Amino acid sequence: MHPVDFLSRRFGFSAEWLRDLKIQEDQGTIFVGTPEVMKFREAKPLRRGIRLCRIFPASIKPTTFAMQIFGRLATRSRIEVSEEQARVLINGGEIEVGATIENGYVIVFWREFVVGVGLYKKPILKSCIPMFRPLD
Amino acid sequence: MRAKRDLFPPLFVARYERIINDFDDFISAMLTPLPKVFRINTIKALPDKVLPLLKDFKPQQLPYNPVAYVVKDGMGLGRRLEHFLGLIYIQEAASMVPPLVLAPQPGETVLDIAAAPGSKTTQMSAMMNNRGLIIANDLSYQRIRGLVGNVDRMGCLNVVICRGDGIILAKKLSNSCDRVLVDAPCSSEGTIRKSKEALERWSFRGIENFSRVQKGLIVAGYQALKPGGKMVYSTCTIAPEENEAVVTYLLSRFPEAEILPIELAHLKMRPAIREWEGKGYPSVIESCRRIFPQDNDTEVFFIALIRKPDNAPS
Repeated sequence: MHPVDFLSRRFGFSAEWLRDLKIQEDQGTIFVGTPEVMKFREAKPLRRGIRLCRIFPASIKPTTFAMQIFGRLATRSRIEVSEEQARVLINGGEIEVGATIENGYVIVFWREFVVGVGLYKKPILKSCIPMFRPLD
Repeated sequence: MRAKRDLFPPLFVARYERIINDFDDFISAMLTPLPKVFRINTIKALPDKVLPLLKDFKPQQLPYNPVAYVVKDGMGLGRRLEHFLGLIYIQEAASMVPPLVLAPQPGETVLDIAAAPGSKTTQMSAMMNNRGLIIANDLSYQRIRGLVGNVDRMGCLNVVICRGDGIILAKKLSNSCDRVLVDAPCSSEGTIRKSKEALERWSFRGIENFSRVQKGLIVAGYQALKPGGKMVYSTCTIAPEENEAVVTYLLSRFPEAEILPIELAHLKMRPAIREWEGKGYPSVIESCRRIFPQDNDTEVFFIALIRKPDNAPS
């Protein structure tokens, strides 16, 4: 299954979730950006758009930054957390949640905003959010 | 007031009291801490969704920027979830002005020739509704790490990041860009409110060195413009050698270049100077604008808006 189809199925994205955008694979990572970004040939860029997901032999791992854009379109595999729980996850921790969803990657919401991606193995939700700085 | 002046190098005072008529007000403002300002990242959320979450900070909208807000006490703002999630971007108020003047549109091709750490790149990305193309370039690999982080955090899908000499890149992009931002590396005299570091390493030789680099970048930026395209040249410094003299140099190379007037409602800006150290600048240079801290409680900025005519020779 193509990684984009996998993500669509996992998160219940509609068929048009990447409408007007292009994807490109580079060394096991799929990037997403505007058509102009993917067409750019005048120089060799370090980056085009943002990382959508990484392809591993046994899994497809969506990125936090892409899901912060597209995650609000998800109809499945969503977990809502409190501000305190969000802070734990952002600092690389894990929390116990009682969600009745399938194990695997989930999109973590705080209010209506996407915090990032987590890995859920009932009942533990583990952070997959890149750590940049500790949050109080 | 004498004691305040003594905190600045004597040459700095001698140079700039000649071009800033309310110099004592300027010095006082430069010694006052900067207010914290953030803008809402409209790629991810609109102000009505984000502002209620930040009401403890009592944000006040900047009169010249509908998505930017100043807070009295910004302590802890950078550690808020809203910041981590890319709903807001903390950015100095005057530093938001060059993109506002350039006004990139959705679908356009924009070159940001010295982009790191990406404040203006991500601001332009939002102004373009995350459409089109921004070529964000910088020379320093170290600084590009910050650019990548900010592009990711703000969710910019319309940005390619390049590392290299902006002059070489601009040559490859000759006559192809709708807009170009040359927010040039500079002696950063105007950032003293944020950090005294610029004052500590201030020297006239530094100004001369930056001026050379800036002349190369402004010419390269102009060459990358399509006929009819617009460029903003900006610095966060006071030195006329890095400002008016650089724009004058562009006009000497490309006499057809048009210097456009700059207006931004509710932001006080002063005209560029016409003469410095015995050298006169062309009268059109007066259309360039200077932003001073005592006028709007910001850092210092110099901004020029330049257009390549439709019939410019290629």
